[in-house]
Amino acid sequence: MSDVPPDAPAAASSAGPSGAPRPLRVMVVDDHPMWRDAVARDLAEAGHEVVATAGEGRAAVRIAAAARPDVAVVDLQLPDISGVEVTRRLTAADPPARVLVLSASGEQQDVLEAVKAGATGYLLKSAGREEFLDAVRRTGEGDAVFTPGLAGLVLGEYRRLASAAGRADDGAPRLTERETEVLRLVAKGLTYKQIAQRLVLSHRTVQNHVQNTLSKLQLHNRVELVRYAIEKGLDRDD
Amino acid sequence: MGLDVALWRAVAVYRALALVYAATLITMNSGGYARPLGGWAVLAVMTAWTAWATYAFASPRRRGRPLLAADLAVASGCLLATVCVESTEGIAAGRPTLPGAWVAAAVLSWAVTGGTRLGLTAAAVLGAGDVLIHVLAGTVDGLGNRTFNGIVLLLMAGLVVGHVVKLAREAEERLARAVEMEAATRERERLARRIHDSVLQVLAMVKRRGGELGGEAAELGRLAGEQEAALRALIGASPPAPAAEPAGAQTDLRPLLTAHSGEAVTVSTPATPVLLAAHAAREIEAAVAAALDNVRRHGGDGARAWVLVEDGDEEITVSVRDDGPGIPEGRLERAAAEGRLGVAQSIRGRVRDLGGTVSIVTAPGEGTEIEMTVPRAPRGRGRP
Repeated sequence: MSDVPPDAPAAASSAGPSGAPRPLRVMVVDDHPMWRDAVARDLAEAGHEVVATAGEGRAAVRIAAAARPDVAVVDLQLPDISGVEVTRRLTAADPPARVLVLSASGEQQDVLEAVKAGATGYLLKSAGREEFLDAVRRTGEGDAVFTPGLAGLVLGEYRRLASAAGRADDGAPRLTERETEVLRLVAKGLTYKQIAQRLVLSHRTVQNHVQNTLSKLQLHNRVELVRYAIEKGLDRDD
Repeated sequence: MGLDVALWRAVAVYRALALVYAATLITMNSGGYARPLGGWAVLAVMTAWTAWATYAFASPRRRGRPLLAADLAVASGCLLATVCVESTEGIAAGRPTLPGAWVAAAVLSWAVTGGTRLGLTAAAVLGAGDVLIHVLAGTVDGLGNRTFNGIVLLLMAGLVVGHVVKLAREAEERLARAVEMEAATRERERLARRIHDSVLQVLAMVKRRGGELGGEAAELGRLAGEQEAALRALIGASPPAPAAEPAGAQTDLRPLLTAHSGEAVTVSTPATPVLLAAHAAREIEAAVAAALDNVRRHGGDGARAWVLVEDGDEEITVSVRDDGPGIPEGRLERAAAEGRLGVAQSIRGRVRDLGGTVSIVTAPGEGTEIEMTVPRAPRGRGRP
């Protein structure tokens, strides 16, 4: 494995005071039957309820409307619509599902698009079983699950937005100095706990910073989509 | 294929139109010919040759030297026949030759086949024929502007058509290369998809299950994991940049560094290319390789390393962090003092040559972090 969650050792601390993780309703979207079954089995053994599995994107969106999963584990490469599109629809659904992207290759642009579309976690398939279950649990709690690789992508995306925008006030999201600092440390492989120690912050604060970087990106993406749609619509009226 | 067919079709059209023009001239001038029947005979030969040439030049197999030689020979023959058919007065007065502009078809076919050189050669032969007519008819004094004009036009036709055909051929070749490259890229993407859908999935699964089973299976799982990471880096790397990059020799730094990722090394990059002068990219890669090698040698078992590439407006930052034991105080200085080129020295040297800076933060037990910052455009110091 070349990506580990930065927070693996600190997992226990966020499991809640009761210690026993809350069982989640999980859906697995993967076109590879071998993986679908293995992931579903692991989830069931860990006490979660696997409410649905799907091998295709459209089917996944359809089934999710009825199954109402808390967390959807989504592979990016699907035979019909892309995992990015599935992520967009699942996170926009009512009630929205939280999406953990589980991908076999580091298709960088795709991972970034999925995160902008609303995914709150990303993990490579080669991650171990414990790591995976921990990521699902944290995604279910609403935490952002970052790998160093994802932190690098997000840092790059903010830089790209900043240099593409040029002008100071065009609505493009910016990172605060603290957020940049935290993201860089995540990208360099530090756990949230180590980051908290180094920056003299609480574990929760570090988590919030990381999460903010994602939320801002997702919000910007939604605004851009709406702007694009309005422009299209106005064009048609002319 | 497409270009050749179009060119030969154009030559055939020219030949046919020029034949009509020649027929008109012969009809109009036949009253003044010394041997009017000869004029009709030459027209018959031209018509027959036009038909045959149109047919023969259309096939690549027949389009060889014999056909080209015959084309020029027939054109020259028809040209020289003017001496026998036309009256001496007519020749002296500068009346058009029997085939007129029709002979230029031979120049065109030579130019289309062999470019400027063959085009000019054919034009020179026919120009010599024009002069020869006057020599044979004993009217060299009558060599006038009109004859020279005709010769110059023939030469220019050979020159221009030959040149344009060469340009068109080159353009066609370039297009073919571009199409080929696109096909290669698409094939690469197809392979990447296939590998992703099959091999990567299985390797990742073996690694995962192996780790859970433990023992020998864990070792197999570890091996599978290494291959999985290597393969992922391979198909994730962008294809080689086209040879004629307009921006000069700029290279994407990402594939160079992700090639180092593996079981113990994580490489994080932006999603967009990090462009850098090719030389600078190679030097940075070498510096990162030296740092990672150092982690492997001194970091102890299980030391992991993280490489982060950041793309700023002015500069590019590459950090290498490890969770090894760290470098004891004074060791770097000692290594330098003993004249050994320590890893730090080699990294500092490379980055300094690129006009950049290096900071090394280390403490016993806390790993080492090396941060290299290089300017986007190297502050020139006479590097090639």
